[in-house]
Amino acid sequence: MLLKNINEWILLFIIIGVISLVGNFVGYNIMSLNAIAGISVLIIISLISLVLNKVVPVNFPTIGYVSIIAVLISTPWTPGSDLILSWTNEVELLALATPVLAYAGISIGRSWTDFLKIGWKSIVVASVVMIGTFIGSAIIAEIILNIQGII
Amino acid sequence: MSNETIFGLWKDWRLHAVVFLIVIISEAIGTFSFSLGPGVIMILPIIYAIVFGIMMYFTPFINKKQSKKADTLILLSVTVFLGKIGLTVGPALPDIIAAGPALLLQEIGNLGTILFALPVAVWLGLKRESIGMTHSVAREPNVGLIMDKYGMGSPEGRGVMSIYIFGTVFGAVFMGLIAGLIASMTPLHPLSFAMASGIGSGTMMAAASGSLIELYPALENDIAAFAGASNLLSLSTGLYVSIFIGLPLTEKLYKLMTNKRNKTPEIPVQKKSVK
Repeated sequence: MLLKNINEWILLFIIIGVISLVGNFVGYNIMSLNAIAGISVLIIISLISLVLNKVVPVNFPTIGYVSIIAVLISTPWTPGSDLILSWTNEVELLALATPVLAYAGISIGRSWTDFLKIGWKSIVVASVVMIGTFIGSAIIAEIILNIQGII
Repeated sequence: MSNETIFGLWKDWRLHAVVFLIVIISEAIGTFSFSLGPGVIMILPIIYAIVFGIMMYFTPFINKKQSKKADTLILLSVTVFLGKIGLTVGPALPDIIAAGPALLLQEIGNLGTILFALPVAVWLGLKRESIGMTHSVAREPNVGLIMDKYGMGSPEGRGVMSIYIFGTVFGAVFMGLIAGLIASMTPLHPLSFAMASGIGSGTMMAAASGSLIELYPALENDIAAFAGASNLLSLSTGLYVSIFIGLPLTEKLYKLMTNKRNKTPEIPVQKKSVK
């Protein structure tokens, strides 16, 4: 079962990888062996995380594993992190976000009819909710960073 | 999350071809920005991608089944994206540890939702819906919390669902637009906004931090690292902040705000029921 899953994941990651690399080229003019190596590293991290999520009998999310592995292999204290980063630096962050949001849009289409039902008051409140959290966090961050003398 | 039903997904060439085209067109258009008063509004390729994606759902190219398959692909592509974020956080780890206090405390800033939005909701005449609506940014864990506490069909449940739906459909577009606008209009430091971008949703963070990066290209790595770290914190602490601070605070403030307003109309209603 797990092997069948891994097989499926690899095929899907190849598709996502190719789409991302083409986006990376169209949007940022980067097409290099390093970029291919970079996306491969990212896919391997994702694969390991998906497997860990299935195998480890603890309820810990895949994206948690991804974040921990990615942070650990790229700290300044990790041997070899420079090499890995020289590859992944040629894969632009936003080029990786575009396919996510294209799939998200296709998925969001299903919620469109629900959205039409929520009414203008909810839309006003939702807008203030998002602006509120953004400005609230920014103000506190600004104050503490100032106190710490970082900015 | 169930991955059991995804077999054979890679064969759906039409879905992948559609996404491939959306990505090429979105990236080819590139970022479009214009001034709005003292600020700048930026429309990034990721925003076109969502809009094109939604539009494609209403064409014969994409059916409901494919739209459901897209959920699995979001999960996989988001792991790749978060891997890249992680690789940006790693090298900046010394800076992030140094800014630890700011990172931790700005999580409390998410309570800004309550202070800003609850008065608006009450003023618009919304009742207990406003508690579900404004206690948090209403991502999945918070929908769970409200459903658990008040029940599916409760006013609070309806409230949190309407914000959840708005966030799902428009969250990333909205955050992408306002992050650039607010950052260009106010004197706060880009790093503060970077931290504010991590509100516990990968797509909203991508859109908000993406706009900030377009605005301050020299700070690209720092912005991505701080947004990523803050998003991780929000994902792991957000629910607890809501349980222990957010929701009780919203309840208290709601009672305070409505007591003053409802004192007079509440008495006749009670008399009626006595009679």
